[in-house]
Amino acid sequence: MNVSVKSLRGVSRTWRSFSSRQGMNVFDRSMKRRQKDWASSLLDSSKYDYLREEVGSRVADRVYDVARTFPLALDVGCGRSHIAEHLSKEVVERLFLTDISSSSLRNRKTSDIPAQCVMADEEFLPFKENTFDLVLSSLSMHWINDLPGALRQIHQVLKPDGVFIGAMVGGETLYELRCSLQLAELEREGGFAPHISPYTAVTDLGNLLGQAGFNMLTVDIDEVQVNYPGMLEVMRDLQGMGESNCAWNRKLLLQRDTMLAAAAIYKEMYGNEDGSVPATFQILYMIGWKPHDSQAKPAKRGSANVSFADLSKIGKLQSDQ
Amino acid sequence: MSGSNVWTRSRARMRLFPELMAQCSGEATAYGKCVAATTTGKQELTRNMCVKEFEALKSCFQSAAKKAVK
Repeated sequence: MNVSVKSLRGVSRTWRSFSSRQGMNVFDRSMKRRQKDWASSLLDSSKYDYLREEVGSRVADRVYDVARTFPLALDVGCGRSHIAEHLSKEVVERLFLTDISSSSLRNRKTSDIPAQCVMADEEFLPFKENTFDLVLSSLSMHWINDLPGALRQIHQVLKPDGVFIGAMVGGETLYELRCSLQLAELEREGGFAPHISPYTAVTDLGNLLGQAGFNMLTVDIDEVQVNYPGMLEVMRDLQGMGESNCAWNRKLLLQRDTMLAAAAIYKEMYGNEDGSVPATFQILYMIGWKPHDSQAKPAKRGSANVSFADLSKIGKLQSDQ
Repeated sequence: MSGSNVWTRSRARMRLFPELMAQCSGEATAYGKCVAATTTGKQELTRNMCVKEFEALKSCFQSAAKKAVK
């Protein structure tokens, strides 16, 4: 990432803040359902699947890393189901798929794991407590209004010693598009409005998971850069993925002059040598466990039997053995 | 929605956008450089700071669009 880009004056961003209750209705969920329905019923919808495929396979990798078989698993916000096709019946025996968009569930990809589809909102999971051994979520949590609440519900439906493995878009995703649109609007119209939805910062994610009751957390960040011919192709692909903005504060109109200006700025500031432009997606992966007695706990205070002072003698200890 | 309406017509116009941009790459680069220069300088970016470069880009774009229609 170009450091000079980050120090642009007048270029701002809004992070999702989870401290105040007022920030809890950021997205228009019914609009998101309509966008997902439209995107999944496109004839060439598989053309836009590349990002979800990649992230789905990486989430499946993390499932394999946990050397266990999961009798019952849940995929929250599954879309057209991009994780299940990389998993096998030996690892996950039965799968529940939920999404707010019924059209996505109907057009989902096939896999050999027996699956049941439930149309449900991620914030109102219709399952009993202590049901699932594994909960998965890939690239849908960045549209949830009450993220702390949704994480608490995931924690609830998990069995003790169950695990939640999720991936969401966050951090500095699409900063090139955000900055180009912002500068173009400033220069052409004299002010700017948010066009990119607010994302969760990676530093907040650990706190969110901890507050929801998960322990043994693992959070890591992955950057995927995709090259496009130009800014319009970026926007068209985002629309085809069902990732159009649905925040209540979004501006509904993008003026033609501003679009032209933004495309020129995008190419000049971020373009590659061969004329293409990059778009950055920062994917946050998270793993959290529901507490159980069998899990390792921190040692009791006062139970140490070696002192830090012995560190200086380590060389001597090794040569004795 | 079937048939021709404002959305199908504007989407059809948008599809020509990349080719027209390719024809005006010089003007686009000039405009982009002007805006990028304001971000590293001491001045804040204000409205119409790069209006000359933008007008050049826009007129190039519009004449390319007229040629494409013919």
